[in-house]
Amino acid sequence: MASRFFYGSDSESSSSGEEEDVYDHSGEEDSEAEDSSDDSSDSGSDSDDSDDGKTGINKFLRDASDSEESEDEEKVTVVKSAKDKRLEGLENTIKLIENAQKIGDWSVISTEFDNLNKMIIKVNQSGPTPKVYIKAVADLEDFVNETTSKQKSSNKKMNASSQKSLNAVKQRIKKSNKEYAAQIEKYRAAKDDFMASEEEAEKPAPTPAPKPTKVEKIENFAAAAAAGDDDGFATVGRGGKTLQYTPESILKHLRVIVESRGKKNTDRLDQIRTMEKLLEVANTPYQRIRVYLTLISTRFDLTSASANYMSPEQWKHADREFGTLLSVLEEHRNFVISEGADEWEDDEKMPTVADGETFYIPGSIVSYIERLDDELTRSLQQIDPHTAEYIERLSDEQQLYNNIVRTQLYAESLNAGDKNDARQDSVNRVVIRRLEHVYFKPSQVVSILEDATWKALPEHLDSAITSRKNAGDVADLLQTLTNYLFQHSDGIIRARSMLCQIYFLALHDQYYRSRDLMLMSHLSENISNFDVSTQILFNRTLVQIGLCAFRAGLIYEAQTTLGEICGSGRQKELLAQGIILQRYSTVSPEQERLERQRQLPFHMHINLELLECIYLTSSMFLEVPLMAQTSSAPEMRRRMISKTFRRMLDYNERQVFTGPPENTRDGVIMSAKFLAAGDWKKAADMLASIKIWDLMPQPEKIKEMLSAQTQEEGLRTYLFTYAPFYDSLSISSLADMFELPIKKIAAIISRMISHEELGAALDQVNDAIVFRKGVELSRLQSQIVTLADKSMSLLESNEKTLEQRTQGMANAFQRESGPGARGGRGGGRGGARGGGRGGGRGGARVPGGQQFGGGALGGAIKA
Amino acid sequence: MATTAPSEGTRPTDYDLMPRIIPYLDRHLVFPLLMFRSEEDNEYIQLAYELLKPTNIVGFSEQLWGMFNDTEAPAELKKKEADIAAEKERLEAKTEKMNAVFADEEVLNSMRSDKAANFRFLEENYGVTNEMVNDLYDYGRFLYSTGDYGNAAITLFQFRFLSTDNEKLASATWGHLACEILNGRNRENPAWEQSFEAALGEVPKVKDSIETRLFSNPLGQLHSRSWLIHWCLFLLFDHDSARDTITDLFFSPAFINTIQTSCPWVLRYLAAAVVTNRNRPHKHSGVYPKQLKDLVRVVRQEGYEYSDPITDFVKALHIDFDFEEAQKKLGEAEAVLRDDFFLHGQADAFIEAARHLISESYCKIHQRIDIKDLSTRLGLSEDEGEKWIVNLIRNTRVDAKIDYKAGTVIMNHPPSSVYQQVIEKTKGAFFRTQVLSSAVAK
Repeated sequence: MASRFFYGSDSESSSSGEEEDVYDHSGEEDSEAEDSSDDSSDSGSDSDDSDDGKTGINKFLRDASDSEESEDEEKVTVVKSAKDKRLEGLENTIKLIENAQKIGDWSVISTEFDNLNKMIIKVNQSGPTPKVYIKAVADLEDFVNETTSKQKSSNKKMNASSQKSLNAVKQRIKKSNKEYAAQIEKYRAAKDDFMASEEEAEKPAPTPAPKPTKVEKIENFAAAAAAGDDDGFATVGRGGKTLQYTPESILKHLRVIVESRGKKNTDRLDQIRTMEKLLEVANTPYQRIRVYLTLISTRFDLTSASANYMSPEQWKHADREFGTLLSVLEEHRNFVISEGADEWEDDEKMPTVADGETFYIPGSIVSYIERLDDELTRSLQQIDPHTAEYIERLSDEQQLYNNIVRTQLYAESLNAGDKNDARQDSVNRVVIRRLEHVYFKPSQVVSILEDATWKALPEHLDSAITSRKNAGDVADLLQTLTNYLFQHSDGIIRARSMLCQIYFLALHDQYYRSRDLMLMSHLSENISNFDVSTQILFNRTLVQIGLCAFRAGLIYEAQTTLGEICGSGRQKELLAQGIILQRYSTVSPEQERLERQRQLPFHMHINLELLECIYLTSSMFLEVPLMAQTSSAPEMRRRMISKTFRRMLDYNERQVFTGPPENTRDGVIMSAKFLAAGDWKKAADMLASIKIWDLMPQPEKIKEMLSAQTQEEGLRTYLFTYAPFYDSLSISSLADMFELPIKKIAAIISRMISHEELGAALDQVNDAIVFRKGVELSRLQSQIVTLADKSMSLLESNEKTLEQRTQGMANAFQRESGPGARGGRGGGRGGARGGGRGGGRGGARVPGGQQFGGGALGGAIKA
Repeated sequence: MATTAPSEGTRPTDYDLMPRIIPYLDRHLVFPLLMFRSEEDNEYIQLAYELLKPTNIVGFSEQLWGMFNDTEAPAELKKKEADIAAEKERLEAKTEKMNAVFADEEVLNSMRSDKAANFRFLEENYGVTNEMVNDLYDYGRFLYSTGDYGNAAITLFQFRFLSTDNEKLASATWGHLACEILNGRNRENPAWEQSFEAALGEVPKVKDSIETRLFSNPLGQLHSRSWLIHWCLFLLFDHDSARDTITDLFFSPAFINTIQTSCPWVLRYLAAAVVTNRNRPHKHSGVYPKQLKDLVRVVRQEGYEYSDPITDFVKALHIDFDFEEAQKKLGEAEAVLRDDFFLHGQADAFIEAARHLISESYCKIHQRIDIKDLSTRLGLSEDEGEKWIVNLIRNTRVDAKIDYKAGTVIMNHPPSSVYQQVIEKTKGAFFRTQVLSSAVAK
């Protein structure tokens, strides 16, 4: 995070540079290669800088240092045979490209060009860009341009694969050539001279020459950090480190490092080594704090490319150093790191701090911990969750959590001493981080985490918000944290904290509380105003509430709550648990990258298969009786609760041969078919045989609940289906059939009669249901009833329209603006209302659309 | 009914709502609640004494002291009495002029609805100042605290007539409401009915002030609404005409939400009110079923948070359709009702109405009913049950016959004719269209 502030370079070139950097990073682990790769790619983009003309003087300086650099680096090249080999390989590849050019085989060119680029990175690590490469790429670019222009004029089509490769090469070459623009320019200006000079340059004897570097070093210091070259530094380090690192010079060193930050050509690992040395000599708290601050940010800088993550060991170093930094700060309360502090300008002497005074050092502790957290998340996002590596990485969370809590304590103590908005803000930020590490975990896990944390923290530390002695009670912890945020923060943090709490409650089977909080938060109304990750959290919470309702046996609530997410068919996307690649999507790479960044690490996932299974099962319990009910009444046929479920059922029915269920989905659908046929036992068995229930806590209870539901809904379905064919039914035989107590059967039937779902009455004397005859309407009659309904709703909408219009007319000022327009609008609205009403009647239980809204819960509550 | 009622002396304390209600009431309003209990337990008198101690109702406090203590009332009371008398004199003197002004017929006649204009008029003609108006407020408060609710109401009314200070106006409105409620409760007061009407009139004013004054403060609104809801309980059952208004108020979205969030126990009173409302004639025939439906919905939603025999009764009857359970709960409910300060007068009406409800839905669902069975369900003997059913058939015009030999009632549920349905649905359509077309033609 913090590094962004320093990273002021132009985005385009730096990102391209970084990508290569990234590539190299993963490809090769030895640090030397890494350093120099930084150098080379950086130099590339730097030259770009100068081309932009932004840094006029730099350009001048650069050229000078460039040539110089190239000279002595080349000497080194000859010494090392590995580099020779690389050069050779390079030349071979170039030859291949040239050959391919002759026959116009673009796919070969494309692959070889890729190889070339890979190689050049390695070569660049050890020296300047070889001229052969420059020549090759320059020629290639020309060739590409030529080919495309030819193609345009001739209209002759290439075959598809060549065309594709050509385009790829074209794009890539444009990008990569930018880096070498200056050299290519030179080459083009005088082709022969350029190559000749190369020969010359390569000739000089390969003796290591300390002199030029020294000169360079002096130059470097003279030009302060403008050149941003660290070679001088490194060399000196090797020469006489004991001399260099004295407590007095620490600040100077740091300044150089800080100033080189964001610049290209910096060897960060070397800087880190330097600083580690500096730490050893640092003797005042101020020095140590300063060194730590710089050191940690430099570690972060090692990986600033968004696609990659910090290497675990670097992360661990940073984490440890952060911990030490905190302990230094805790010991020396008179040094405070604050975001708005002034920088200490004088490198020569240390600031003296009198007792009782506080000295402010610029920086942000909270940003560091946030960055650490982000980096861990990022690495978890990218590591394959099924490997031991993931588990190993996950265990670092404890360490991180310790530091988060510790940061919270520190931020708190600062805030307690002297309240202001910025400090309150940092407390809030840490608290929400802490909350986000616990909210999705079962309480046992959290209590282990908490215990370990309090053990790890020094005895004397305690928190005002979440005190040490209350550490055992996790629910209480959640409550305290959210309450704190609710009182002290606003906007996104507040919303997130509420969602976290609701999620936690839902996870712990407190359906009603979580639902009430969700409704009271009114988040469903304005969630679309929040950022995407909060929306994702909202979705997760909603799903969790739905799951909780299901566990509690509240089928209807579960279905309506889950419907919005699961009915959309985009669960993965909405919960950020995977990316769906759509064929005709218009997703730009940028969007896709963002999407990838949003993905949740695996351990936070909600099991999608379980989710689907639960959604389908609850849909089944609602849909099957409804289908039975509507099958006899054609005008109600359009009513539908879950489109997804219907679609799957239809699909299953269309199949000529249906095999035994192979997956969860099949299982539910099969069960639904049995249920529809009135065979509740088979339906219940089928449901119980689905394996995924075992993933839920207390699977036996769930199965019992499912079986009870199946009995009840089976009875309803049976009655709906067979009512037209019976005159009366004995309750006791029904009781035998569905293995329910007579009282329960009577209650269910009573409810159905009372809600006018069933045209029947109970005969108490004979203990039977007597079905009423002549209840069914003829087609004409039912249509008339529908017509009457429709005409009434039309009338109503007309009245509403008129109401709106007369209100508009009452306002004399608006009259001028054109009654026609207003009438049109009113009419449109009326129409929409009518339509909505019709639709609403059709599927009153289906929450509208896919947009985020309170529909699901609201619907659940109103029912 | 006697069979199911719990034996005398053991009060179902689980369902005692007093501790929950009291925090939402004013000190003076709590007093009647305590006195209701004091009939059985002297402890409550002591509580009442403690309650009144900080107020200025000294005389009565002394009486209370006497009721549970043989000794002379403490000296501090005596002293306080003197202080209060002095204070009263002081305030009376201060407001004398205002009183004189208001006593003047002419003044009252020249009053308009515009407060500022009134004030200016008085200022010019009678030299009334802003301070004097505020004195009225203090005096009103003082009177209220001495228990002189009638005069307090008048004084506060005068104050509200002139003041433009919103804060004070709001609390004066609350004060006025409290005064009128307490006045209305005092049946020895000849004008208790007027007080009642006045209190009822105050309710919407308080409601409006909650909505406007606390517009941007949802929490404050919630609290004020809960208070208002509890205060309204005094009106809900004491006066028939109030019931419709108050139940409507409770069912309005803002208030039902308040009940659900902050005070679900009010559901007991709401349920009782709705159920007993059954027997009374309504202007709109649709009101009762709608209220019942709303009630069932709310009771069902809040079932996890609050339940007592009364809400359980509603639940058993309309959600679970378990008539036995409903009957059982009705028995329990009776005991609870008789013990409840607000509802003790309503117990019989509730039982009666509840029986109606049971038999109504029972008849709706059944075709043939055993009279014996129904009688036990209603908690009546067989003969009584038969009488009850005959009355029911006569009153509600249910299409039913009694088969005396078999001891059954046979209900005839004629299926509603489709023509009837269409006619019902399109009722009034013509008239509405006419209104519409004439409105468009304008």
